[in-house]
Amino acid sequence: MTLDERSRGPRGVMRRRTRLTAAVAIGGALLALAACGQDSQDVRGGAQGDVALPQQQAGVTRSTDTTGLPAEGALARVAIGDLAGIGNNTLDAQITNPYANDRAAVEVGQEYFVKMNCASCHGYDLKGGMGPDLTDTYWRYGGSPADIYKSIFEGRPQGMPAWGRALPPDVIWKVVSYVQSQGGSYPGQLADRGRQGDLGDSNRDTTSFSTLKGRNNVH
Amino acid sequence: MNVTLRTIAAVSMMASVAGCGTRETPGRGADSTTARTTTTTSSSGDVALPAMAARGAAWLPPGADDGNWLMPSRDYAGTRYSPLDEINTSNVAQLGLAWTFDDGAADYGHEFSPLVQGNTMYIVSPFPNRAYALDLSKPGAPVKWKYEPNPSPIAIGKACCDAVNRGAALYDGKLIFNLLDDHTVAVDAATGKELWRTKLANVEDGTTMTMAPLVVDGKVYVGNSGGEMGVAGWLAALDVNTGKELWRAYSVGPDSLVRIGADFKPFYSWMRGRDLGVSTWPANAWKHGAGAVWGWVTYDPDLKQIYYGTSNTGPWNAAQRPGLNLWTSAVFARKADNGMATWAYAMTPHNEWDYDAVNENILVDLPINGQTRKVMVQFNRNGFAYTIDRTTGEVLVAKPFGHENWASGIDPKTAMPIVNAEKHTVPPGRWVRDICPADVGVKDFEPSAFSPRTGLFYVTTQNICMDYQGREVSYIAGTPYWGADMTRHVGPGGNYGEFIAFDAATGTKVWGIPEPFLTYSGAMATAGDLAFYGTVDGWFKAVNARTGKVLWSRKLGSGIIAAPMAFRGPDGHEYIAIAAGVGGGAMTTASQPGFPARGSSYYVFTLGQNIPATQPATSGGQGGAGKKQGGKP
Repeated sequence: MTLDERSRGPRGVMRRRTRLTAAVAIGGALLALAACGQDSQDVRGGAQGDVALPQQQAGVTRSTDTTGLPAEGALARVAIGDLAGIGNNTLDAQITNPYANDRAAVEVGQEYFVKMNCASCHGYDLKGGMGPDLTDTYWRYGGSPADIYKSIFEGRPQGMPAWGRALPPDVIWKVVSYVQSQGGSYPGQLADRGRQGDLGDSNRDTTSFSTLKGRNNVH
Repeated sequence: MNVTLRTIAAVSMMASVAGCGTRETPGRGADSTTARTTTTTSSSGDVALPAMAARGAAWLPPGADDGNWLMPSRDYAGTRYSPLDEINTSNVAQLGLAWTFDDGAADYGHEFSPLVQGNTMYIVSPFPNRAYALDLSKPGAPVKWKYEPNPSPIAIGKACCDAVNRGAALYDGKLIFNLLDDHTVAVDAATGKELWRTKLANVEDGTTMTMAPLVVDGKVYVGNSGGEMGVAGWLAALDVNTGKELWRAYSVGPDSLVRIGADFKPFYSWMRGRDLGVSTWPANAWKHGAGAVWGWVTYDPDLKQIYYGTSNTGPWNAAQRPGLNLWTSAVFARKADNGMATWAYAMTPHNEWDYDAVNENILVDLPINGQTRKVMVQFNRNGFAYTIDRTTGEVLVAKPFGHENWASGIDPKTAMPIVNAEKHTVPPGRWVRDICPADVGVKDFEPSAFSPRTGLFYVTTQNICMDYQGREVSYIAGTPYWGADMTRHVGPGGNYGEFIAFDAATGTKVWGIPEPFLTYSGAMATAGDLAFYGTVDGWFKAVNARTGKVLWSRKLGSGIIAAPMAFRGPDGHEYIAIAAGVGGGAMTTASQPGFPARGSSYYVFTLGQNIPATQPATSGGQGGAGKKQGGKP
């Protein structure tokens, strides 16, 4: 996958590109989505008849290479909430983002974050708008990498669309990398603390999210 | 500004339009000063205002009287004028809190004005759009019934600017309103039982519904929201008895969809032609071109026409849609029965700044240049107040009513804006600094009021600007089709808000009350010569409608973004009601120090002498007293 290392603007936003190079990896269906300035999709439920989007169509082209990625079965068992009867949920901690701290992956993730209109809801600075702020410690459906992956893949009930049929797993993980790079997520080891409301600001608590996050958003 | 502006010249009608380009110096030239006396705003001395005050029952929904309030603007003309005068300039200082009500939906902004018929008040909450009937005949107005429509939560994330509801209508024993998830419902006003529910669109596409229906002659007019979601805007007419859709008029697309036919006669030549809703766009771009109908609809029973505006153009990034982009950011006049357009006017063609034209079109008769004209007045987001002949669509006056710098005026011949070159946002991908107003406009949806006693409009205005950069965007159904990044800042003077009185016959501000926070509430005028408004920091105020002097104010629990209303209670006394629950577009300034928390309370005021010190919790106490004095059905 070709990466563009061009410098960023003052708001941390990449400059406009004429092509979405990453789209090559995910097939022609998404190339149509990525073609800015072209109205390649007909209105859904509109006056001129329905034309389904690529992700609604059967047999949509998808990358099948999931080498090195967390297994879907393991992800499926990550719970949004607490577990009934059997103690703490440790699955989040066992699932790590293979692209975490991968600068190239972060760039691709950012590109998709803009091109898939995530930025229009969550802000070009990820600080929220129509959708929630992704840079703070409050995550309604969990802020571990696995939780974020699942929220993107499955969608969420208050208007977050499900992207699992539009984007291949590696691209979703790269979007997760971008979100992680902006400081809002927390490590899977802290997922239980997040569920229990223990990720508040406390400089004395060396295991707290705020300390791990640090001033440079490094964790 | 202050009352000395009253002496500022009003020039002739044509010169008034022509003067837009140099509006920074109104009143230049001593010769024009004398003309002011011919269009005085005093009710004595002009012919139109008594006729306005004497408008008959045709301008009110069936069953309306001076003491009830059956639709958000009270009358079809959209004046938000109450003929009640028990509360007036001499006694408003004695206003006290009678009771409160909380709808429990504090997560979202409250833009709803209560309705009152007989002994019942009706309130619809923001999402999840619960409806409440409150029994005014009993102490504390307890809940009579509750209706829970359970709309889809998906709608929350598809609503661009908070999961609000802007109003309901009482008509023929029905309470009619829209659900955020694209359904219109009619509920039995007596029992709260659902009578019908009509699906108008698919919420998964990004369409929501927030506007207040208008009901006239058995037809319910409703429109969509979603200007940031790539919708194609529309207004639909439903049968009030069944909810069945009768017709739908799109804001974009071919004439057949826009319901443009032989009756369509726009005043200006650039809006004449075939299928302009297609040909003023790149191929197929109109299908996601917005023109949503999320504001107010008004009705002229004499001309039998409805009037409403269309939203911003989609996407905001104008580089993706070269052309005039008709009929977005425009106003339509349509025949009320079949929806066929009679004229249209695009206030901001090829809209580059999100200046929707959905604000209320108030239908009044004004003396202009010595003649009484049937006009509609719209205080547009773009900062210009338009006084338009509502029969022909001719723009008679177009003057700024607040701070704007994107256009130097409105061309008197073409009625097109004269855009300041440095405020163009095309090409995208660069920051354009200090565009005034910001996207939310010099005035947003929050409705203004008109008093036939003063001849003045009462308008909450916004002094807010933006740094803006267009962004390329692709259409993906169910996601925003937006294409812009921005930051907002306060305009000159540092006051975010101002409540003004405006003479729309001349395009002149008469007085203004600057406010440190946004003024984002609706306004109301009363026969007591009072004008009411609220601020985003939670102050509810009553002012002398003639002088602008604040006579009474109270701090409420949250910021005010709804419009006040007035009614006569079962005890025979006048009451004023207002919601306090900040949200919506006002959240653009949420980082301002002192910005209040959200809320969900309604406050009801009346003269203190009419408020008992204690009220028995059981019926038969004050409720009985109400029956003695009531005389209401």
